[in-house]
Amino acid sequence: MMRLIGGEMPSWTEERPPVGGALYAYIADQVPAGASVFVAGPHDDALVDALHARTSVTCLLRSQTDATALEARGVEVVCGTIAKLADAEKYDVVLALDGLDRLCSVEGPQYDWAESLQALRRALRPGGMLLLAVENELGVHRLVDPSTPTSAQTDGAWRPLGEFDTKPGNPTRLAAKLSAEGLAVDWLGAAWPLPEAPTLIATPNALTDGPVDALAAAAAGAVGRAYADRSVLSDPRRLAAAAVRGGLGPEFAASWLVVAHRAPRPGIALALPPVLLGDAPVIEIAPDPDGGWVRRVVRPEPGRDLSALTGPLPAGRLLEELLLAACLRHDLPVIRRLLTGWVAALPGATADNVVVDHDAFMLLDPSVPAQPEVLRRFAQTLIGGVYTHPWPAAIDLGALTAILHGAAGLPTGVPAIPDDDFAAPDSRREHEEQIRALRRQLADAASRVQWYEAELDKRDGQLRKAHRQIAMFSGHLSYRVAKLGLKAAREARNRLRKGTT
Amino acid sequence: MHHANHFYGHAHVLAEYCGLDPEQPPRINGYLQHGWNVVDGLAPGTPYVPGRPIFVWSEQTRRRAWSMGRRQATVVGAPFLYLAALVDQPEVERKGTIWYPFHGWEGQHVKGSHRRLVDEIVETEPGPITFCLYWHEFRDDRVRAQYENAGRVICHGYRGFMWQDTDVRFLRNQLDELRRHERVASNRLSSAVMYGAAVGCAPAVYGDPMHLEHEDGPTADRIRRQWPELHGTHPDPAVARASALYELGDGYLASPGELRAMLGWSARQPAVMAT
Repeated sequence: MMRLIGGEMPSWTEERPPVGGALYAYIADQVPAGASVFVAGPHDDALVDALHARTSVTCLLRSQTDATALEARGVEVVCGTIAKLADAEKYDVVLALDGLDRLCSVEGPQYDWAESLQALRRALRPGGMLLLAVENELGVHRLVDPSTPTSAQTDGAWRPLGEFDTKPGNPTRLAAKLSAEGLAVDWLGAAWPLPEAPTLIATPNALTDGPVDALAAAAAGAVGRAYADRSVLSDPRRLAAAAVRGGLGPEFAASWLVVAHRAPRPGIALALPPVLLGDAPVIEIAPDPDGGWVRRVVRPEPGRDLSALTGPLPAGRLLEELLLAACLRHDLPVIRRLLTGWVAALPGATADNVVVDHDAFMLLDPSVPAQPEVLRRFAQTLIGGVYTHPWPAAIDLGALTAILHGAAGLPTGVPAIPDDDFAAPDSRREHEEQIRALRRQLADAASRVQWYEAELDKRDGQLRKAHRQIAMFSGHLSYRVAKLGLKAAREARNRLRKGTT
Repeated sequence: MHHANHFYGHAHVLAEYCGLDPEQPPRINGYLQHGWNVVDGLAPGTPYVPGRPIFVWSEQTRRRAWSMGRRQATVVGAPFLYLAALVDQPEVERKGTIWYPFHGWEGQHVKGSHRRLVDEIVETEPGPITFCLYWHEFRDDRVRAQYENAGRVICHGYRGFMWQDTDVRFLRNQLDELRRHERVASNRLSSAVMYGAAVGCAPAVYGDPMHLEHEDGPTADRIRRQWPELHGTHPDPAVARASALYELGDGYLASPGELRAMLGWSARQPAVMAT
């Protein structure tokens, strides 16, 4: 059934895809069966359908076209702008994983973040639960974005406030703003790589005091997959990993997911782990009683064996980061030790899926199938990222791969295969560096050509001189006399030899 | 690339280490440091062709080269260490001191009194002395005679010039002699002192350092300040050895496969014979 509350937008559809993904679907599944749930803003069909099967769902959409489609699937829809919402203290749960930016239509008052929050709070029963996502305007996804939200061109961005909105800028302020509205925070997680479909959500405690190296690697992997072949200002993998390693994971996350209840006490509670991970299956990471961290598959993926993912989380640093740091330090002994250990222990794992703890090499994600040409991929990381390394003269992929093979103790006869790019973020900063490197290589090549020309001139001069000497001697009278004498002597010798035999 | 790559048979040693014909080392795709120095690894006046690697002995030299604008330096370690790894001689009894009087080169002659230096050496050294002269001082009868009065005089060979007349056994001769002496000494810190320290001689640097025509005085002083552990008549051998090994790039030697790939000798780049 659809209720038109006013302010609805007929003949208009949302351009940006709705929020969704495996982790948000898993979290929505934790909402108790039978609860009355208000889903604010566009959410993924699968998520809504799953909720609809277990709970009593009402969705708010501003697009009448989208609302009609949703209604056709049997879901109750409220269509219009949030300012017209009059459902006071009606719901057990309010789900706003898309944030608060797409709740106002073009009609009527334009609520800022705080006003939209107040409207959603009013819809909650006392003790009711709010699941709210807040995009971080200073998240890595924003820092690497070549475009800016404040000059958005899409039809849905009629008020592109970006960082000028009133939304809080860090988890602490977010909790304070919620508290000011009578909403107490039960759980907060920082989400990577993108607000619309996170594949890693971790609590600030886990990001600062938990398995930081593994989470840095997971954050880098998450943004790496999200930004493969996408145009960015700089490589988000390095920013994400550096942020998490540096204790700034929550501050640079793409968004924050908060679970709060309307005071005074929670009527419903969600049991969420410190870390959730996955783009199809869902894995939780939690401390064990011994102080270590363990993984557990909480939602399997049909047809994929994930049994290797259950168990202790490997401790240690990501091989790729260790190798890059050793290359920047020109620490050849360490580079050789890492490369040799890597290809001996895990020859089919890429450097971004290997964790090194002292001399032990372990897979970060054992469910990833073996990959070919792992050293070549690392050579491409070095060249593509324009990292300084100990072999600066090896400027093509084949030459650097051959050296890495040698340094790893493998045969250096690397087959010449075409330079097909492995999917990686297409970074403008690296483009700048590549242009700078190419300019230098061109200048070097020009100098070399000059040097070769000078050498050629010199050798030509020597050759001309030698030719002149040869010509002079071959035409000279004394040379001719000596030649005749030599001929006579040779004939005399031959006659003598004939005479003696 | 440059004829200095063949000095002392360095290219030949590396070819042998890489499993290639030591008599015909392929052309090295860059510049090989041919002696210990306190600049960028290249000898003064080397006509550097931009973009080509400089294969230096130590990470410290690489850093120095970078600071001097040479971005293409790669650390490979000293060819002498590759040779020492190749030539596994049985230990022979070590006797006396091998002394390397500071030498000039073809274009720069050393100035100072050889006689006074010999007197100081004889006074300091406890055992028999072998004087090793650079080839052009060895061929100078007047200079050689001054040393012959005080001990045995040898020359490791001619280092070669423009790929001609290189004594490819130079380094082997030197390694063999060093392994027969207890001490290695010179009046200047040099490759020879470091080689000796690396293969078990107690090193010493003392005596009139003499000087070269047009030599930069502050550099010689800087060397004494930076490496005091290698100077004096009896520096601590263990500390001196560690310092010398660092300067020679111990721990940085590449495997034959990696070295072939670095020098442009791998199978994917067919070797071009040096002229």
